[in-house]
Amino acid sequence: MSELFWFEKYRPRSFDEVVDLEEVKARLREFVRGGNMPHLLFYGPPGTGKTTMALVLARELYGEYWRENTLELNASDERGINVIRERVKEFARTAPVGKAPFKLVILDEADNMTSDAQQALRRIMEMYAQNTRFILLANYISGIIEPIQSRTVMIRFSPLPKEAVFARLRYIADNEGVKISDDALEAIYEFTQGDMRRAINALQIAATTGKEITEETVAKALGMVSPRLLRETLNDAFRGNFGKAATQIYGFVVDGGIGELEIVKQLHREALKLDVPEYLKPEIAYIIAEAHYAILRGAHGLTQIYGALAKIRKLLKYTASI
Amino acid sequence: MALPWVEKYRPKSFADVVDQEEAKYVLASWICARFRAPKDFCTRWAKKKDKEILDARAVLLAGPPGVGKTTLIHALAREIGYELIELNASDVRTAERLKEVVGRGLREGSLFGYGGKIVLFDEVDGLHVKEDAGGLEAIIEIIENSKVPIVMTANNPYDPRFRPLRDISLVVNLKRLSEEEVVEVLRRICTSEGAKCEEEALRSIAKSSLGDLRAAINDLQMYLSGGRKTLTVDDIKRVGERNPQLSMFEILDRVYRARWFDEARAISFNPSFDWEQYFIWATETIPVVYKEIETMSVAYDRLSKADMFIGRIKRTQEWELLPYALELALGGVSQIKSKPRLPPFIKYGFPQRLLILAKSREARKRRDVLVEYLAQNLHVSRSYVKSEIIYVLGVLAKSDSKIVERLSKALGINAIDIKTLL
Repeated sequence: MSELFWFEKYRPRSFDEVVDLEEVKARLREFVRGGNMPHLLFYGPPGTGKTTMALVLARELYGEYWRENTLELNASDERGINVIRERVKEFARTAPVGKAPFKLVILDEADNMTSDAQQALRRIMEMYAQNTRFILLANYISGIIEPIQSRTVMIRFSPLPKEAVFARLRYIADNEGVKISDDALEAIYEFTQGDMRRAINALQIAATTGKEITEETVAKALGMVSPRLLRETLNDAFRGNFGKAATQIYGFVVDGGIGELEIVKQLHREALKLDVPEYLKPEIAYIIAEAHYAILRGAHGLTQIYGALAKIRKLLKYTASI
Repeated sequence: MALPWVEKYRPKSFADVVDQEEAKYVLASWICARFRAPKDFCTRWAKKKDKEILDARAVLLAGPPGVGKTTLIHALAREIGYELIELNASDVRTAERLKEVVGRGLREGSLFGYGGKIVLFDEVDGLHVKEDAGGLEAIIEIIENSKVPIVMTANNPYDPRFRPLRDISLVVNLKRLSEEEVVEVLRRICTSEGAKCEEEALRSIAKSSLGDLRAAINDLQMYLSGGRKTLTVDDIKRVGERNPQLSMFEILDRVYRARWFDEARAISFNPSFDWEQYFIWATETIPVVYKEIETMSVAYDRLSKADMFIGRIKRTQEWELLPYALELALGGVSQIKSKPRLPPFIKYGFPQRLLILAKSREARKRRDVLVEYLAQNLHVSRSYVKSEIIYVLGVLAKSDSKIVERLSKALGINAIDIKTLL
């Protein structure tokens, strides 16, 4: 089943395969080399390599015995206070298999564990430290209680830089016999903002449309407007033919089947990249925010988008920014 | 067996526990006054004669993580030759289970010639309402009938539901460790591991641990992993610190000085950015930074629009709107057409609102206890008590002073305090 999904099929199996994250890799390699490590807390946005790094560390530590020496519990597993008190405690107190120095418990999305379950973990981490280490993975550090933070080394994972994502996507595309243009890579990155898992998913979805992936096929596959097309439309709306821009947007929604909210979100991203004085950007953000809120409250999407574009045009004209 | 350094270097003796002298004196004085303990131990550590210490039935050690609460009890037991019976949040702590474990522990004879037994209820604030049903009441009962020392630890013992426990225990607060003390411990570990560690590097680890020794030792182990024998400031800069916390003063300064909208907006991605706090601070600092009414009004207009969006988000739970609110609150306050040239140093005052809240914290806690009591006894919601009942009670209390006395008895709150609450 895992072979079906490219993000799983191409999940790195060793430190060498992991893109970017050089400093984190260096640290973890040292732990493997020294055969000792503290408990760890990996935190950062989704798709930045937290789970991958934890599993790679397990493989590097235990080789063929990595499954026997690792207990992985993710959000789909029951992880209430009882599971911590019974299953985790039971695993933690038994000796490791083979010549392993200690066993590993990986708790994915630990920030979604209840405070009580985290409380139960506190002393387990200390009492069984002789033969078990814990790696907690979290999107938001604020979801981890302070006593657990205190018991771990905290390693931050940041959104992956564009070059790292591009390199990995090109590698996968080559392996899958798919050609991908630079514009298409840009569009994927624009859509996924450094989240590698989403980027690979986006690539896989786009690849279902054919062996050549362009910006247009990415946009179509992901239900978004081609960033280039949207920029042209905004150019029309703010500097040229407003009627033409309105027709374009109507086409995106009616012919392209793209949701109005998706257009508003993209409009938000693109409008803030406009070459206008910085002091106007908060005003532009507010206009788009009002449109977004109105749509959420049931207002007509196209009307709100046209209204927002007209207000921005008026603002730019009024301040002689166009 | 490879141990994490926090375990490898865990203090073994009472004296080894750093920077908590006051807590050690209180704990030792209590043990020596009420139970058997070695004479030399008592001579050295039992320095307190206060009645409340000597009469306490149990001791509750309170304090933030990593300051030595659990370690102190383990060291105490070892020092006075007592066997430790420990129950923590990883154990099932229902009334039945607690009585069984503690009862069995106290009944069974000690091996290895221990001088006595000491019971530790670790992490009592981790008691689970459902899974540990009756646990709190059982602990109170055990304390009331116990012939052996009972010690508890908690991060937050001031939760209203632990009031009965506080009433029969002596609460001893352990403080965050000083930077100097943390550096000293780290220095000793470096020596023990045969590593050359720059003073500045150790200071950097200590600073970012915010007085949590365990966190600092964990971080040191990471920096010296794989048998490294040197540690420099550059090593720490490269990996990043534990708490790259920006104070609210630094956050505000970055916002007001940002030259681009994106630069101001990016501040919200900092792990230490707390937007609720930011709104409070920004509201009071805008007039400090923007003296011109034109600029000030634009900044306030944008902050108020951001606040309006926060209100909408809370009402509708549409959290996808949060980025707009933060853009307006940060970029909006920062990027203003008539923005003046800012001086190199701006004195941001601490918000009055927070100072007032801090001053009234105790009164608000007492008020919460009163509200909770009334809500339960009158079978109404807490909000109804706040909006209606308190007012009615205030009027009634003016005409009948016995009402205040009755409440004072029931809640264990001074009658004068109750009058001020009404």
